[in-house]
Amino acid sequence: PISPRSLSLPDPAVISPQDPTLLIGSSLVATCTLSPDFPLKAEDLYWTLNGRRLPAASYAALGPSTLSVALARLNGSRQQSGDNLVCHSRDGGILAGSCLYVGLPPEKPVNITCWSKNMKDLTCKWAPGTEGETFLHTNYTLKYKRRWYGQDNTCQEYHTAGTYSCHIPKDLALFTPYEIWVEASNRLGVAVSDVVMLDILDVVTTDPPSDVHVSRVGDLEDQLSVRWSSPPALKDFLFQAKYQIQYRVEDSSEWKVVDDVGNQTSCRLAGLRPGTVYFVQVRCNPFSIYGSKKAGIWSDWSNPTAASTPRSERVAGGCDPKAGEQNTTLRRELKQFFGWVKKHAYGCSNLGIKLYDQWRVWLQKSHKTRNQV
Amino acid sequence: SPTGDSWGIFTFLCAALCNLPALPALNCSEELGAGQSIQQTYDLTRYLEHQLRTLAGTYLNYLGPPFNEPDFNPPRLARAERVPSATVDLDLWRGLTDNARLAANYRAYSRLLCYLRVLDGQVGTAELRHRLSHFCASLQGLVLSIGGIMSSLGYPLPAGPAGPPAPPGMPTAPNDFLKKMDDFWLLKELQTWLWRSAKDFNRLKKKVPPAVVTLQLEARGF
Repeated sequence: PISPRSLSLPDPAVISPQDPTLLIGSSLVATCTLSPDFPLKAEDLYWTLNGRRLPAASYAALGPSTLSVALARLNGSRQQSGDNLVCHSRDGGILAGSCLYVGLPPEKPVNITCWSKNMKDLTCKWAPGTEGETFLHTNYTLKYKRRWYGQDNTCQEYHTAGTYSCHIPKDLALFTPYEIWVEASNRLGVAVSDVVMLDILDVVTTDPPSDVHVSRVGDLEDQLSVRWSSPPALKDFLFQAKYQIQYRVEDSSEWKVVDDVGNQTSCRLAGLRPGTVYFVQVRCNPFSIYGSKKAGIWSDWSNPTAASTPRSERVAGGCDPKAGEQNTTLRRELKQFFGWVKKHAYGCSNLGIKLYDQWRVWLQKSHKTRNQV
Repeated sequence: SPTGDSWGIFTFLCAALCNLPALPALNCSEELGAGQSIQQTYDLTRYLEHQLRTLAGTYLNYLGPPFNEPDFNPPRLARAERVPSATVDLDLWRGLTDNARLAANYRAYSRLLCYLRVLDGQVGTAELRHRLSHFCASLQGLVLSIGGIMSSLGYPLPAGPAGPPAPPGMPTAPNDFLKKMDDFWLLKELQTWLWRSAKDFNRLKKKVPPAVVTLQLEARGF
């Protein structure tokens, strides 16, 4: 390491090419030419690439004050700011440098998907075409225009829904198809995606339902009642909404979806486990926009709301606990009664607890047949 | 560390908020005293120093080797001497008046802020842009803080570089490699200034205790 010294203009040396752009795998011969008033010679120089000294075997003196270096089959740039090719004097001092941009041209962006929030705006996202890296900084521009007429417009607000996304906040027309595409460009070229055609009305989504409340249904252990408000934008626009509910048990990651909720703003979930905490979410799909039969795009799910089903006092058996208790007390009393009757009443020997039991069995049987009708 | 950042952000906010209304009004300073503001500004320089370490690390990695090598020391070309250097003769530094000391800091950071903002507009990756803009916001707070102290002590603010980012007579680097060297030296100079400011504000702290300032304000009829 040398102490810094202030060097006066002009620069001590000049590298050629200065900051070139190259395709991966290409070769390069660079030259370092010393300024005439600089007291060094070609043999006093050496090269480094990204801090690593290049082998002297690749050097060639092209004159008393010019040293060249040959670089073959270049790999993609180590950093997007360019590889640092530096010409040094023997003592390590930096005389000049050149940034090499080695990479690939961009591939056309793919999978353009767009959605409009309440028909007010349009957000689109896409994926870069390259599976690997281009090694060069790539700029993406989303463009759009009304089909058949109108000039190209450029989207300005990027990264609103992830890295590869753009948001168009206003001046969008309804009932007219738009052409949308994405241009990717870097130092080595440009690639244009396929054009996507859409009508704003076909890609409408809205806010999730608000005020989602989940409550018990009386004492019923296997049911919960879900209630919500339709998203406010629904009032302003001529579309109806259909809803979807998903719910899961607290300690599970598997959601159960209720699909046929329709356009009501309440629903009862049944077949649930007693004494369990459930998480519930609701989402909304605006459809029948201006009377069309097409569905829109599902909104995000509402924030999860939790509620628990009640748990009965007795362990599984499903019997009504109060009725069971009554049964035991009544039976006991009857048994005592019949015992007393046997002792103190003559001629009622047929009366006994066994007869009572048989009567109970007959009672249950007749109940079943009645309910089956 | 997250806790370090929260402390730092809190200190920065205090400094910025307390000193914003202090230019040109003296309301905040009357209540706090310049002594307390100096302490806050000192804390802010320490916080910025901490922030700079991460920013510089990320930025130098973006520039690539040899810029991110620990012993890298390229020649300092004439064009790179655009910010008044923090390094100064020790006796000269000791002999600075409070006004001169504060003014030197104010001028340096105003300039550095300008250059950093230009960098912010050019830099490649989203992560770097995010870090840079965060750092610029904090640096802006420091400039305001120093200005606030100067106003509360009755010193005039040096004419700031309110014009275009590149002051007249300072060309942008003619090639990408020289630009990388300029960026390297900008970060180095920023680092040196923050080290120096800590010493400057430590010195000022001892010379301007709160009690003295209150007396001065009373004498001026506030």
